[in-house]
Amino acid sequence: MRQDRRLHWLLLAPALVLMAVMLYYPMLGTVYESLHETSFLNPDPKFAGLALYRRVLADGTFAQVLANSVVWTLGVVLLQNVLGFLTALLLNQNLPMQGALRAVVLLPFILPGVVAAILWRFMYDPQLGLVNSLLLQAGLIENSVAWLADSRMAMASVVVAAVWKGFPFSMLIYLAALQNVDRSQIEAAMLDGAGPVRRLIDVTLPAIRDVVVVNIVLTLILTFNYFDIIWVLTKGGPQSATHIFPTKIYETGFGQFRFGEAATYGVFSILVLAVLVALYAIVQGGANRRRAAA
Amino acid sequence: MRQSRAARLGLMLLQLLLALIVLLPFFWMVSVSLKPPTEPFAIPARLWPDDPTIDNYVTAFRPEFRTYFLNSLVVSLSTVVITVTLGLLAAYSFTRAQLAAISALVGLVVLAQMFPHSAIIIPIYKMMRGANLLNTYWSLILAYVSVTLPVAIWMLRGFLLKLPAALEESAAIDGAGPLRVFWDIVVPLSRPGLIATAVYVLIVTWQEFLFALSFTSTKEMRTLPVGLNDFIGQYGIRYGELMASSVMVSLPVMAVFFFLQRYFVAGITAGAVKG
Repeated sequence: MRQDRRLHWLLLAPALVLMAVMLYYPMLGTVYESLHETSFLNPDPKFAGLALYRRVLADGTFAQVLANSVVWTLGVVLLQNVLGFLTALLLNQNLPMQGALRAVVLLPFILPGVVAAILWRFMYDPQLGLVNSLLLQAGLIENSVAWLADSRMAMASVVVAAVWKGFPFSMLIYLAALQNVDRSQIEAAMLDGAGPVRRLIDVTLPAIRDVVVVNIVLTLILTFNYFDIIWVLTKGGPQSATHIFPTKIYETGFGQFRFGEAATYGVFSILVLAVLVALYAIVQGGANRRRAAA
Repeated sequence: MRQSRAARLGLMLLQLLLALIVLLPFFWMVSVSLKPPTEPFAIPARLWPDDPTIDNYVTAFRPEFRTYFLNSLVVSLSTVVITVTLGLLAAYSFTRAQLAAISALVGLVVLAQMFPHSAIIIPIYKMMRGANLLNTYWSLILAYVSVTLPVAIWMLRGFLLKLPAALEESAAIDGAGPLRVFWDIVVPLSRPGLIATAVYVLIVTWQEFLFALSFTSTKEMRTLPVGLNDFIGQYGIRYGELMASSVMVSLPVMAVFFFLQRYFVAGITAGAVKG
C-alpha cells in the first residue's frame, strides 16, 4: 500500500508541479510585480510600495475600465444566458431538423475568437458591412452608423458580437440539463392541467436550478477575462470606451512595458471578479431563502 | 408532447430565425471569400458573388500563412498530447489514490481553472524571458499545457469516476498492480473521455491569442490567430483575402469537431450538469 501511495504521488507530480510553477506562483508574482516599478527605460524592478496602486486609482481611465468591465460582463452574461436558455428550450421540442440545427448552432462557439472578431469587424464596417446594409434596406436607420468608432455604440456592438459567439456554449449546457429533467414530473403536471409556461416555472426551472447557477458563474468568469473579441474589434477604443481589464493589462504591460502598473490592474481585476462572483452568490442565496420560506 | 399545428408552425419559424442569426455571418464570410478581387462591394450588399472564384484563397495561402499554420499545428498538437497524458495520469490518481490530501488538491485544481490569464501573464512572461524561451514553441506549449490542464483533469476525473469499479477490482485480485490496471483497463475504457478532452484542448489552443501575441515577436514564430490579426493592418480592407484566410483558419477545428462532436458534447456537459 505504501508503494501504491508513492506511485500515485509520482503520477500526480507532473501536473501539480506545472500548475504550481505556471499558475499559482504567477498569481503571487502578480502581487509582487504590483509592488515594484519597471518601465521601458528602467527594466529592473524597483520597490515602490503602494505607489502604483495610488497611481492607477488616480488615473482617470481606471474608473472607466472598471465601469466598462461591469457593463460588458453583465451585458454578455445576461444576454448569452437568456438567449442560450431560450434556444435550448426551442431545440428540445421534438421538431423536424433538430439534430442538424443543434450542430449548426454550435458553429460560432467553435469558430476561433480572432476569426469571429474579424468577421464582426467586417460586419460592422460603416461602408461595406452587412449590418448597415441590412438596417438601411429595412429602413431601421437612415444613415450608416460607425458601430465601432462611435463611443456611444461601441460597447453595445462588442457585446452583440460576443453574445453571438458565446450563446451556443450556454445553450449546450442548458440543453443537456433539459434532457435530464424527469419526464414523469412534467407529465404529472400536464395531467394536472398545467400549461407550458406553468410547467416551465413549476417543474423545469427548479429541476435545473443548479445548472443555471453553474452556467452563470462560468460565463461570468469567462466573459470578464475575455480578451480576443474586444482587442481585435476596437483595441479598447474609441477613447477607452470599450477598455476592460484584460485589454488594459495587455496594453499597459506589452504596449508600454509598464509591467508594475499592468500587474496592479491585474490584482484589481482579480478583486473585482471575486466581488462580482460574491455578489451573485449573495443574490442567489437570497433567492433560495425566499423560495424555501415560501 | 402534443402541440397545436399553429404552435408547431410558430416554433418552426423560430428555428428558421435562429438558423439565420447563426448562419448569416458565416454565409457572408464564405461569400466574400469567393468574390473576385475585382468585383466592387455593392450597396446594398450582394449576398452571393456573380462570378465566384477561389482567387482569394490562392493569394491568401502565401508563405507566411503556411508558416503560421505549421506553428499552430506544432503548438496545438504538442499541447493536446502533453495535456491529455498528464491530465489522465493525474485524474487516475485523483480518483483512485487513498491520500488524505486529495480533496484539498482537487479544490486547488478547480480554483486554478478560474485564474484570469491576463492577470498572471506578466510573471509568466518574465519567467519565459529568464529561461530564454520567449519567441519559441516551448513558451507557448508550456503556457497552453498549464492553462488547459486544470480543465482537462476536471473533465477526465468526472469520466473516471463513472467507470465501473468491478473490472479494476477483479484485475487487482488477480495480482495486477496499479500501473497494470491503469494501462490495461483504465486507458482503453477512457477512450471517449480522452477524445472529448483532446477536442476541448485543441479548440482552446488553436484559437489562443493573448499568450501567442505576447510571447512571439517574429513572423517565423507567429501562430494563426496572431498572424490573422497582423493581416488586418497589413492588407487594409482587402476583405476578400482576409475572409479566405479566416475560412482556412477555421476549417481544421470545424472538421475535427464535426467528426468527434458527440464525444465532445458529452464531455463538456457532463462536468457542468452532473459535477
